[in-house]
Amino acid sequence: MGAMIKDSTTLEILVQLNRRFDQDSLPEMVELQKEFDVFSKEHSLQQSFALLGIVPADWSERKRWYRFLEFLKTYPSDLPDVNGHDRVVKAFKDGLEVEKPIPISIKCHSAADDPRVFVTEDRPVIFTLETHLIVSIPTTPGREIRKQAAEVAKKRRAAKKK
Amino acid sequence: MDLAPGGAELQGIYSDIEAYYGARVAKYGATPLGVDWSCEATQNLRFVQLLKVCDFSTPFSLNDVGCGYGALCAFLAMRYPDARIDYLGVDLSKAMISRARRRFRAPDRRFVVGQASPRLADYSVASGVMNVNVGYPHAVWEDFVAALLGELRRTSRRGFSVNFISDAATASGTHGASRAPRLYRTCPERWISYCEEALGCSVEPLGNYGMREFTLLVRCQRNSADPTFRD
Repeated sequence: MGAMIKDSTTLEILVQLNRRFDQDSLPEMVELQKEFDVFSKEHSLQQSFALLGIVPADWSERKRWYRFLEFLKTYPSDLPDVNGHDRVVKAFKDGLEVEKPIPISIKCHSAADDPRVFVTEDRPVIFTLETHLIVSIPTTPGREIRKQAAEVAKKRRAAKKK
Repeated sequence: MDLAPGGAELQGIYSDIEAYYGARVAKYGATPLGVDWSCEATQNLRFVQLLKVCDFSTPFSLNDVGCGYGALCAFLAMRYPDARIDYLGVDLSKAMISRARRRFRAPDRRFVVGQASPRLADYSVASGVMNVNVGYPHAVWEDFVAALLGELRRTSRRGFSVNFISDAATASGTHGASRAPRLYRTCPERWISYCEEALGCSVEPLGNYGMREFTLLVRCQRNSADPTFRD
């Protein structure tokens, strides 16, 4: 997200994810997990989300989305020795396989505040009464990346002039 | 009103269904969206339920009515790689059948364009073929469903399975006069009694698989006087 996929794609994916794992859709996802082990150590997130059809509508963004999911392997997480990718897989797997599953929400937080993928239980929005399992992904918005790149280029040009 | 086989009204419905799915596959290609399903996972979960009518311990023949681009073939290869199944996919849409033929080339994987299976098979499955009412009044669509179930019974030796969107929890919206395509929702009892009384079958409903729909496993009663039951 951020530098890897467009901000508009991030929003689109968040809507898809949060719809598929909300209270209404949860029984379907629990059944899919039971039947096909959608989230497991045997499958990458790319495979799981492709199977669930959680992909950008724009074909040109799909490769970037899949690349981002692979790139999560380089992120740290709130569990020791577990990378960001595997932490997301574990959160979905455990969340769908517990005796009483609760809805799952995906959120983004600023990578500058915390570079880890982390999982909590909370209410994702103030008007929600149900507790959700919240998977939070560290993100740098595209505009921040562009701003940082522009500043680097500006400094480089200034250094050249000298 | 009953829809006469080969009658103009029935042909009109088939023609509208072909146009609807032809447009879907042209827009989305050979993908679950191309046959109006949300994703491969839910499509496969439906196949799991529908195939419960089959006895996989012995080879059998299978008609897949409304086969689309042949997604069931891929599922059979993944889930039952060693099963010997003589498969025939049937679909109204030439575009779908042409994609299915390109994807699956094997002697025991055949596809035909048509309204019903041209052969008698051990089992038939029909996934989602009755769910999108392409703009007909409720009563006419139910006549179409009844005709389709009768056709499945006629071409199945041991049994067949179908799925429907459940009318529980949401307003059906099926009684309006709009000509726009909309979902046909119903309750199990409506079609269980039809299959038992009109078609002489026994029915096992499946509804507890996490989706807002149900599947009917319809088993044909053996009748020695009926030539279709000669093994």
